Amino acid sequence: MRALIVDDSRAMRRIVGRILEGVGFEVLEAGDGQEALGVLEGLDGPPELACVDWNMPVMDGFTFITEVRKRSEWRSITLMMVTTESEMDQIVRALAAGAHEYLIKPFTGEAMLEKLDLLGLLPTSTGV
Amino acid sequence: MTISSAPDEALVLAAIEQVWGSMLFASAEPWPTDRAADFGSGVQAQIELRGDWNGRLVLTCDSDVATQIAGAMLGLGPDEELPELDIHDAVGEVLNVVGGSVKGALVGTWALGLPGVSETSEAPGRDESFVVSWGDAPVYVQILPDAA
Repeated sequence: MRALIVDDSRAMRRIVGRILEGVGFEVLEAGDGQEALGVLEGLDGPPELACVDWNMPVMDGFTFITEVRKRSEWRSITLMMVTTESEMDQIVRALAAGAHEYLIKPFTGEAMLEKLDLLGLLPTSTGV
Repeated sequence: MTISSAPDEALVLAAIEQVWGSMLFASAEPWPTDRAADFGSGVQAQIELRGDWNGRLVLTCDSDVATQIAGAMLGLGPDEELPELDIHDAVGEVLNVVGGSVKGALVGTWALGLPGVSETSEAPGRDESFVVSWGDAPVYVQILPDAA
């Protein structure tokens, strides 16, 4: 399985990447939404998961998920917002735009794994 | 965390304690006011907060502290080194998450900017900041409203 991490912080990409690699994902990275669209364009098939920050330069995460949801060939990507935006209206906006899950920073590795389990993206997931 | 209409020291300190604990696996205590806080050259991270109150949160720390914060965030061993760019990035992301926690505890509609990080050779004065501990070292925190 492949995961695309979209975050302008290299440190955060590294932290999320380590968690995902630990459960068997091959990790791809992008520093903003525009770069992430370019990464997706260059792949032979969509990744199973994209973890997307909200506040980024060039193209923010909300615009990125909106763009992804316009493309039928990327419909299978599970989108998880991983962001400091914690207000309920922001969460609702992201879910309405096509995000499947929402993880608020700061988070623990366990919290991210719980979300992946809920999404059926762990090797032992029940896909609740 | 207390709900407030503008960021204040108690709210920002609570956010720092939360982030220190969950991201850096460390505790943040208020620095004793009668204790000297030495500072050499260092790193200053800033992030804008816009809403009913407009201004910046600023975090300033010694270069060694910045390196330790980055190492703790990334789970590095004592012999692992990070390039300066990654240290700045990590300190900026720590402030970004602190800012997000503060924003989430404020009443009303608020927007958080992107963090910026630069080198500095001067620590803020004790009268214009509050100080929290990183281990045995000080980290200066400022809540700076825009100039009128």
